[in-house]
Amino acid sequence: MAVPAIRTEGLSKRYGASAALCELDLEVEPGEVVGYLGPNGAGKTTTIRLLLGLARPTAGRAEIFGLDCQRQAVAAHRRLAYVPAEANLWPSLTGEETLHLLGRVQGRVDLAYREELTGRFDLDPARKVRAYSKGNRQKLLLIAALITRAELLVLDEPTGGLDPLMEQAFRHSVREARDRGQTVFLSSHILSEVEALCDRVAILRGGRLAEFGTLAQLRHLSALSVEATFTGTPPDLAGVPGVIRVVVDGCRVHLQLQGSIAPLIEALAGTGLQGLLSREPSLEELFLAHYGTADHLDRDRVPASASAGDGDRP
Amino acid sequence: MTSALAAPRPQDLTPAGRHPATVLATLVGRRAVRSGASWGLAFGLFIVVQTSAYTSQYKSQAGRDGLARAYGTNLGLNALLGQARAINTVAGWAEWRFIGILTILGSVWGLLTATRLLRGEEDAGRFDLLLAGQTTRGRAAVQAMAGLGAGLVAMFTAVAVGTIIAGSRASVGLRLGQCLALSAALISSPAIFLAIGALCSQLAGTRRRAAAIGGALFGVAYAIRMVADTSASVHWLIWLSPLGWIEQSRPLTGHDLSPLLLVLALTMAAAGAACWLAHRRDVGAAVLAGPDASAPHVRLLGSPIGLAIRLTGSAVAGWLFAVTGFAVVIGTTAEPATTDKNGSSGIEQALSRLGGHGSPVADYLGLTILVIALIVALIAASQVSAIRGEEADGHLEALLVRPVRRRSWFAGRAALSILVLVVAGVVGGIGTWAGAATQHAPISLGSLIAAGLNVVPPALLLLGLGTLTYGVWPRKTTVVVYGYLAWSLLIELAGGLIKMSHWLLDTSVFFHMTPAPAADPNWASAAILTGLGLAGTVLGGLCFHQRDLQNA
Repeated sequence: MAVPAIRTEGLSKRYGASAALCELDLEVEPGEVVGYLGPNGAGKTTTIRLLLGLARPTAGRAEIFGLDCQRQAVAAHRRLAYVPAEANLWPSLTGEETLHLLGRVQGRVDLAYREELTGRFDLDPARKVRAYSKGNRQKLLLIAALITRAELLVLDEPTGGLDPLMEQAFRHSVREARDRGQTVFLSSHILSEVEALCDRVAILRGGRLAEFGTLAQLRHLSALSVEATFTGTPPDLAGVPGVIRVVVDGCRVHLQLQGSIAPLIEALAGTGLQGLLSREPSLEELFLAHYGTADHLDRDRVPASASAGDGDRP
Repeated sequence: MTSALAAPRPQDLTPAGRHPATVLATLVGRRAVRSGASWGLAFGLFIVVQTSAYTSQYKSQAGRDGLARAYGTNLGLNALLGQARAINTVAGWAEWRFIGILTILGSVWGLLTATRLLRGEEDAGRFDLLLAGQTTRGRAAVQAMAGLGAGLVAMFTAVAVGTIIAGSRASVGLRLGQCLALSAALISSPAIFLAIGALCSQLAGTRRRAAAIGGALFGVAYAIRMVADTSASVHWLIWLSPLGWIEQSRPLTGHDLSPLLLVLALTMAAAGAACWLAHRRDVGAAVLAGPDASAPHVRLLGSPIGLAIRLTGSAVAGWLFAVTGFAVVIGTTAEPATTDKNGSSGIEQALSRLGGHGSPVADYLGLTILVIALIVALIAASQVSAIRGEEADGHLEALLVRPVRRRSWFAGRAALSILVLVVAGVVGGIGTWAGAATQHAPISLGSLIAAGLNVVPPALLLLGLGTLTYGVWPRKTTVVVYGYLAWSLLIELAGGLIKMSHWLLDTSVFFHMTPAPAADPNWASAAILTGLGLAGTVLGGLCFHQRDLQNA
């Protein structure tokens, strides 16, 4: 069995009385792209700083390709490349000088790929970092990380300052990395990006791992969004097993369904059903469902995180 | 159906505070007032304590005359603090003492405060937020200057309180007008360097560079004043230095405060120029900024230590230039200063306390080389500050997420700092010799290189204290290292003339440095300072290895 690219066991970090991360157990396999989600303050960046050895855990341990992140940090760093959310670079160096420096410190870089990426991201490397926009500084960091061809890419909200065109260039680069067998650990708030790129998704809540699985697995755990249209007055579907959040709008009923669809189909038989639409929840809906903010955003569309039968009626 | 929300009318909104146009002045002013009042209180306390010590230790006129004979002709002290006049009177002594010492510290305060509150805030991007409010670049600059002015008023108030308390004692007997005149003279250098700091904040692209330009201007002003005070033949130079104007104002022994009008004019001119430039330039840009693009120069960019050399090289070169400049000035003035007056016996008496036994030239250099010691100590403080700056700005993170050991990064930076300090000491010795040699002063190169090396151990101790603080308490590194340096300088300058308890003198890093070349360097004491400094550095490195990285 291959050594995991990332493995944490009971990884915890406290800042005084505040717990930033609680007993995180996580395993990322080599070659997969994992999305790491959570609201602000959930512990995403703390996890990454612990993985990089920039912070010391209060308890537990973390490994990169079997190397302890604290005691074998340098050996672990040889096998990874990191892009931080904040592009803090030396303002007096040019882009080219920065790439040269970071490449030399890393050890090995793919020079041909550097030229390709410089063109793909439309970056002028002759300019000084102080003259770059936020987005250009972010591109510089992305290029510096990608040209190392590291086995593991740790990306902490790497596309914050990128425009949509560059966002596409980024996605293309991540897919290239995955096709080459590199592992990608992507922390992001852009859920469409995670949905498009990631094989598995981990969701943090309050410093704890709330969910970890493929999108299909997460959807399976969540509710199906169903819209039924009737020729006349809709029947009362609130009592059907698995049905929650029933919203009646004239001849139309919106509801969420957890578990098997069979009881609902049985209940709809002979009720003047004219049309039936169902769709799986998007990652955004899954994410929102996990944080209980659905009510604030879209009462009709988002399933509640409560158990079946806990639905409220309008 | 929902109806469209009506836009709130201005009169429906709650006022968020005072007039929006005063926000920046209030913000800058609040911080400047806090800082100005703190420094002013420290100055005021210094004045009260020192005046009390003088009147209690020199009760009789005979004792004061003895003091004047010993120190009034001490050309080294005249060079360091300005010409002593009538120091056998409380007024003459207080004027010489307080203007000599507090003018230096006040200048540093003004420069650091202005560059921190103006360029520092602009560097951090916080000015952008404020400028997006109801103001313009020009108005914002005027507001910022008003805020700095408020800080100066706070300092004046605190200093005046201290001066009035000290002066109202029967044994001192200063009139209210004299107290206020002395206070005005004492806040003159802070005023000038607040304005110059504001001007440098427009010229330079970063806070550090602005402070460096301002520091260089202060160095030039101090050097001119120093040369002017060492020989009557060049005393006219005093009018070329703002610090000389303050000295010439003689608020307690003279009757003409007109030199302070020059101070006012320079302050207003610098402040006006700062506002004008702020109005004309882009926010975040600098008048002296280099080109935004250039051909790559990657020779040093192969390792973290090479990067450190590249990043700090120009600053270190500036410091070494300052050391060389002051050393040459000190060396050049040694021979004329000691043959200009017939009072070398007074110098020898003064130095006998410290074990001095050399020629008048050696005695003179033994005291004035304190300036070199101070600059080398400032280099140590700036090196520690730069090390912390790498982490605070987030740059260190970019290295440590790559295969770079924390220990080797820290050891490299520490070793580089130590090397710079040793080179600075040697350059100081050679520069002093070169200056002295132009005047055919009877002193050897070897003794001056030894004197130069003699100033390095205090700087190493400061480096050790700073790196230890960096390892344990990183966010307080700069405050601790510069605070201790200011304390040491205060004790050193104050303790020489007023008898202080030995434990208090021991707290100054400079007190443990023998006044070479007037006396032979005490290498045992130097070894202890060096050992403590290195131990602090090693311990700091171990603590740094164990802790989390902490951005600003």
